[in-house]
Amino acid sequence: MNGTMLELSDAVKDRIRELQRLEKRVEEGEEGARRELRRAVRESTPTVIARCADVSGKSRGMLSEAVSGGSPLIKEALEAKAEAMRTEIAGEDPTPLELLLASDITNLWLVVEMLGAFYAGQFQRRERKGEREHKGATVSGIGFLLKMQESAHRRYLAAVRELAHVRKLQAGAPAVQVNTQVNILGSG
Amino acid sequence: MAWEQRRNGNLYYYRSVRDGERVKKEYVGTGEIAELLAHADETIRLSREKRRAQELAERESLEELLAPILEVREAARVLARASLVANGYHNHHGEWRRRREWHDA
Repeated sequence: MNGTMLELSDAVKDRIRELQRLEKRVEEGEEGARRELRRAVRESTPTVIARCADVSGKSRGMLSEAVSGGSPLIKEALEAKAEAMRTEIAGEDPTPLELLLASDITNLWLVVEMLGAFYAGQFQRRERKGEREHKGATVSGIGFLLKMQESAHRRYLAAVRELAHVRKLQAGAPAVQVNTQVNILGSG
Repeated sequence: MAWEQRRNGNLYYYRSVRDGERVKKEYVGTGEIAELLAHADETIRLSREKRRAQELAERESLEELLAPILEVREAARVLARASLVANGYHNHHGEWRRRREWHDA
């Protein structure tokens, strides 16, 4: 795995915190807070999305690298599949926020798949424990992987829900039931 | 696990064994057999330690790989929520609803 640490800049983190503060003020019913939040969203969205998209893309590259186990062919195939998935989820003429959420969904799907593969791999290694070089993870190690996978899966589903809500908002539709279907080509 | 020297000068090998919440000392033996068993115990202990260290390194590496993805996820979540709230939605027990009195200003 790559040792390079990717992270959002302090300026972006500040904007995120500001949005959270404003959102809280709106929820508490403060007068004028919603107008302020709208302005902050309008002003912050391009900067936040640009930096997030950058980090997101680079992280996807690092993930593909980790999952491929050093095979350039597998890495290439994973990246192509992730890009196809991201484009499909984003749909036609997506807004920058929809693109970011689509990117998020793709990355989290990749994380869930990767952790699933690691998890399954540990069991195979445990079964072959007679071989000196193939000692599987301890029970706590397997528990850790499972917990991480569950957490990533929860986040993945939350991102799918958020994309559905944002689309509903952008369509200007009244409060109706929205069912979102995400088709993952050739998964599994 | 430890060797104990008694007044007669001989060394006796003991193991620490957990019995519920208590750890008790269990006599193993003395002489060559005890030395072999002590060596085996030490090899097992080192091997476990090595495996634990390796597992910890793998966990840290995995967390480092996932950290930026989770950070972006949190930023996107905040941005999506803020967009919804700014446009007159509120979260009602996990479900986003538009306020009745809401009109686009």
